[in-house]
Amino acid sequence: MAAIAANIYNQVYFFATQVDFSAIVNIVTLVSVNIFVSLLAGLLYMLSTSLFKERGVIVFNLAYSMGSFACVMIPIMFTLPLSQPFPELFPGLAVPMVFFPVIAWMTIEPLFPS
Amino acid sequence: MMASAFAFFQAQTWKVADGYSVKFDGGDPSGEFTGLNGTIQFDENNLAASKFDVTIDVASINTGNGMKNTHAKGAGWFDVEKYPTIAFTSSAITKTATGYEAKGTLAMHGIQKEFTMPFTFANNTFNSAFEVNRHDFKLDDGKHEKMVPNMKVTLVVPVTK
Repeated sequence: MAAIAANIYNQVYFFATQVDFSAIVNIVTLVSVNIFVSLLAGLLYMLSTSLFKERGVIVFNLAYSMGSFACVMIPIMFTLPLSQPFPELFPGLAVPMVFFPVIAWMTIEPLFPS
Repeated sequence: MMASAFAFFQAQTWKVADGYSVKFDGGDPSGEFTGLNGTIQFDENNLAASKFDVTIDVASINTGNGMKNTHAKGAGWFDVEKYPTIAFTSSAITKTATGYEAKGTLAMHGIQKEFTMPFTFANNTFNSAFEVNRHDFKLDDGKHEKMVPNMKVTLVVPVTK
């Protein structure tokens, strides 16, 4: 779900700015990263609920949200290839995408009551 | 006869072609400038009449990171509003064992210094590699002690007549 949202946002951002970041952000990288992050989140959720029992969901949600905020620095500090024009527009594309996995999780999670 | 004599003493004037690169490497930061302009008069057989008078648009700096680009152009570093260009004007070009040397003045960040730029010229392309100590031009905001003082600069400038 996060990968779908990220791909849609990628298209919208390109439409708005006409700047092509497909060398770095494309359907392959978006799907790969979102699957990886979601799998990692799943593992951490299992760990959190095992360790903290009833409070495990609260701890996980807090950690996932705070971790997402911390990950905002990754696209801001990222160094693009010199051949990529308008590197200052890259955070505008990538920073919102950092939150898509956690938003997708929070949206889907209530559908699976424990 | 006067015209032909005059032509004899003129060096070939070259125009900077597309595909040039002006790169700097200091580890972090590293990047390039994309705004190279100026006049290049160079004749291998008439070095006395050869001259470089080139400028680089400081605002064209690109490190691959928007935040670093803005920081580099700011008052703490290149201060592009006060000093919009880097300029090199040669006073003499001589032949060396490895190619050529252009002695002249390098003006950057409001400071002018005598500078010698080694270069080669082959297949209508100038190649040059040298180091610039950023402290000589006061390029230091005092907050990056770990940044290396010497920036390795590499120029590849194809030219056309």
